[in-house]
Amino acid sequence: PCHDTARALGYSPAALAPCRIMPVRWSRYNPSYLEPEVKKESHQKPLEELTEEEREQMELKAVRPIKAAPPSLSSSVFSDPMISKFTNMMMKSGNKVLARSLMSQTLEAIKRKQLEKYHKAPENEKETIECNPYVIFHQALKNCQPIIGLSNITRGGKTYQVPVPLTDNRKRFLAMKWLITECRENKHRQTLMPEKLSQELLQAFNNEGPVIKRKNVLHKMAEANRAYAHFRWW
Amino acid sequence: MAAPVYPAWVTRWVSGQWRNKKRPPTLRPPRTLALADKVANRREQSTEATCITEMSVMMACWKQNDFNDVPCAEEIRTFYDCVAKAEKERKNQNEDTLSSRGNLPSSKVNKLLKRFPQITRYV
Repeated sequence: PCHDTARALGYSPAALAPCRIMPVRWSRYNPSYLEPEVKKESHQKPLEELTEEEREQMELKAVRPIKAAPPSLSSSVFSDPMISKFTNMMMKSGNKVLARSLMSQTLEAIKRKQLEKYHKAPENEKETIECNPYVIFHQALKNCQPIIGLSNITRGGKTYQVPVPLTDNRKRFLAMKWLITECRENKHRQTLMPEKLSQELLQAFNNEGPVIKRKNVLHKMAEANRAYAHFRWW
Repeated sequence: MAAPVYPAWVTRWVSGQWRNKKRPPTLRPPRTLALADKVANRREQSTEATCITEMSVMMACWKQNDFNDVPCAEEIRTFYDCVAKAEKERKNQNEDTLSSRGNLPSSKVNKLLKRFPQITRYV
């Protein structure tokens, strides 16, 4: 079984002899493997429209093997990578079915609340109300993302909180993490998760609510500690 | 190392110093007066923090507008641009060329010196 797996992952027979399959956290594919292209539009483009890099990419795909597409990668128009990431973060003990149903119920709850507001609003305000739950989700996440973070740096025995720029991935992770922890911990025990999440997302969309407050607290601490910014070395 | 052999004028000068009871010989090195083929291991000087001006401008804007992000969008954009540029700079810098301060790390210097050692004897 170990030799079959190694051959499937692209290792040559010479390298197969002393093989042992150890479970590891990183990818075990040979570096020559390319990522699968899932979007339908990129495959339907006629040959003339491709740029130089895309032509080279196509040449490369003819000779290199391609990795297997993970089950979470989808070519559907309804799939959204941010929503998938959020669902994964909400998931507990691998219960993806439950996490996905909670996510869809959340989006439905957002839509219901916005539609209620829309039908009650007077004519002139109807355009300002946003009803698309995906737009609300993305905008709420963007409003929750911190711009600058704090990191612990030790100088002369003392640890200081130094303001530090964050990468995009880290910002997105923090925003999602704050939303989920806020819903799990600081709400009444009997309210269901979709209800709590939709309320939080709508509040974040309007730049109010506890998650935005947490982000502002972080910004204020960074602003207070701006004198230590020189302790950074990157 | 074995006791080094100095040129004649060095020995004469040193004994002259002792005879005139002026001062003890200033030249008593136990090793040859030649450069070694390695440098000491120096802790690599850390680079300075990047984008501090943009950050302070952004924070001043925050203080004025009560930490609201919407009026400070321009400053935030410049801060992000600066951070992206610094990140690219860090990725592109090659350790084989001189660093921004004009110093090579001691390991690289040692490798170069090993390739071209000091000639201690002529054959």
